[in-house]
Amino acid sequence: MEVPAGFLVVSLLLSCFATTSYGVYFSSLKETLEVTASPTKGQVLKAGEDKITVTWRFNQTYPAGTDSDYKTVKVKLCYAPLSQKDRSWRKTVDLLKKDKTCPHKIVARPYTASNSSFTWTVERDIPSAIYFVRAFAFNAQEEQVAYGQTTDAHKVNNLFEIQAITGRHMSLDIASICFSAFSIVSLAGFFYMEKRKAKASQEK
Amino acid sequence: MPEIEGSPGSSMHGVTGRESVMAFSVASPMVHTDRTAKFDLPVDSEHKATVFKLFSFANPHMRTFHLSWISFFTTFISTFAAAPLVPIIRDNLNLTKSDIGNAGVASVSGSIFSRLVMGAVCDLLGPRYGCAFLIMLSAPTVFCMSFVSDASGYIAVRFMIGFSLATFVSCQYWMSTMFNSKIIGLVNGTAAGWGNMGGGATQLLMPVLFEIIKKAGATPFTAWRIAFFIPGWFNVIMGILVLTLGQDLPDGNLSTLQKKGDVAKDKFGKVLWYAVTNYRTWIFVLLYGYSMGVELTIDNVIAEYFYDRFDLKLHLAGIIAACFGMANLLARPFGGFTSDYLAKRFGMRGRLWNLWLLQTAGGLCCLCLGLVNSLPLAITFMMLFSIGAQAACGATFGIIPFISRRSLGIISGMTGAGGNFGSGLTQLIFFANASFSTEKGLTYMGIMIMIVTLPVSFVHFPQWGSMLFPPSQDIVKGSEEHYYVSEWTEEEKQKGMHQASLKFAENSRSERGGKVASAPTPPENTPNRV
Repeated sequence: MEVPAGFLVVSLLLSCFATTSYGVYFSSLKETLEVTASPTKGQVLKAGEDKITVTWRFNQTYPAGTDSDYKTVKVKLCYAPLSQKDRSWRKTVDLLKKDKTCPHKIVARPYTASNSSFTWTVERDIPSAIYFVRAFAFNAQEEQVAYGQTTDAHKVNNLFEIQAITGRHMSLDIASICFSAFSIVSLAGFFYMEKRKAKASQEK
Repeated sequence: MPEIEGSPGSSMHGVTGRESVMAFSVASPMVHTDRTAKFDLPVDSEHKATVFKLFSFANPHMRTFHLSWISFFTTFISTFAAAPLVPIIRDNLNLTKSDIGNAGVASVSGSIFSRLVMGAVCDLLGPRYGCAFLIMLSAPTVFCMSFVSDASGYIAVRFMIGFSLATFVSCQYWMSTMFNSKIIGLVNGTAAGWGNMGGGATQLLMPVLFEIIKKAGATPFTAWRIAFFIPGWFNVIMGILVLTLGQDLPDGNLSTLQKKGDVAKDKFGKVLWYAVTNYRTWIFVLLYGYSMGVELTIDNVIAEYFYDRFDLKLHLAGIIAACFGMANLLARPFGGFTSDYLAKRFGMRGRLWNLWLLQTAGGLCCLCLGLVNSLPLAITFMMLFSIGAQAACGATFGIIPFISRRSLGIISGMTGAGGNFGSGLTQLIFFANASFSTEKGLTYMGIMIMIVTLPVSFVHFPQWGSMLFPPSQDIVKGSEEHYYVSEWTEEEKQKGMHQASLKFAENSRSERGGKVASAPTPPENTPNRV
């Protein structure tokens, strides 16, 4: 009777070390959507100011009915390989729920086979990097079933750059200088005053 | 020989390790209580408190305790404030993994040097000014985060903020001027542990501040900069409190009590020599790098790890990360307690085994932390790892006072520096490299902890033995007196400079263990006149 219990504990422990591997894999998806974005190759956009217009539609060269289970389309801003280098938090993983390539959502729309487009102002929390645009088609169970992207399979063509805001402000800089000066001056002031008091009490 | 104020090592004098961690007060026959002094707590002939009343703020002893540990806590908050915000900062400054790792190394490296200098500063200016100077001069470095716009600026600012961790030295030094040597072990251990909690508190504080500031309308890349003002203000406020409410010594401030007669101080060169030539010093420098060192490393990497690996929100990752550092509240004193407990039965051998077991168990849990894929298990292993590592820190300082009597201060300082060095090294090797993931880094670090802890088995005291070997049977070589008096030359012995070591040797006989009835202890405090 001890053997099954021990086995249960061990298998429970081991299962926690094993990776869970269910879910949709990117390599299983077909590129049935045609996606284009307004930035030209190598263009530099400013976060918070410039706009991206994305258009997407179903690629008619695929047999009709392929898109029967597409319910919603989510368009995302994705990192190009150059911006993923040395940054494992942006890593591309085939299992989509673990994939970190496309963290920034541009828009989500219900699916239509005809042309759809959306104009998006680049948000102010988008970091400086090289990007492309990818759209995923989801079925009713919220699983990815197809995709389309503005670049090629190796993600080298048609990439564009976004320049982030610095986050710095003149008012912050000034406040920082003021508080620093206060700290140094009050320390020096205390020191000087105490030295004077000590000298005065010594002279008494 | 009279206790010389400010001589090298004097800050730790009297830390025998014999005090059980639960010794909140001193048995009065041993210490001559000065009843004429008008203090809130009973004091000895030097007006140092003989009782540790935790929840009192009475001037000057307990007030000093609270000012001191809170200042140390504040510097921990400032030094590790960036860590839970790294997911935002790395996007704002376009950092790579090596940039983040290097910044972490920089944050702990500065204090290796500043801790060594701080001892001298405390001798010259007193611990009050030492502490105040450090935290008020490092406040501008914290405010500097608002200027940072790239990786090199980020690394430079974190390096400069890291200097403030030297408040550890001023904290311990200040305690030793205020508390009797019989309870100084407990007082210093509590202050150190509670200060270290700042590394946990900041993981909770900074994401919450960030969220609040974001809700108030700031964009993320500005909000994190504004959040840094709060630790900066803490630095300034604590500096002002220390200057206005604190005093160097029970009877007043240093500048008014400077001259103490023409007694010769111990030579720094000699004290350093005996520290450096004792092989045990180096083993503990190495070991502390893998108990305290890995604790600092985890303070720097764990929030980002939980954020990335388990896709948690920033403040949730911060809460989990905070639990690691906050465990110091009890874990570090626990290590000291188990050390004392095992020493009662097994003596020094018990203390060594205790250290080895705790630190190795911590390493094993670190290894598992990197391997597990489920969040509840990761949190469990992280907490077990924190208890192991932090208890090992407490256990280390249960042994350090016995390595040397003459060079205790320097050995403590070197061990502390070793902790920071270990932190810098582990971050460099395991977490600044893009070639393997953070979880692999944790696993490898766990393996390294277990390997590096093995040398504790080489620590052998002729009078007490080591982990694997019993004490020497030789009557002369196997005595405590022989060990501690061997640090003095014949000339020095003739001058009687070794008397304190002789007394210490006698008191340390309890490290033989085996529930030996301890010899009656002569009064610890000799009068200040010869």
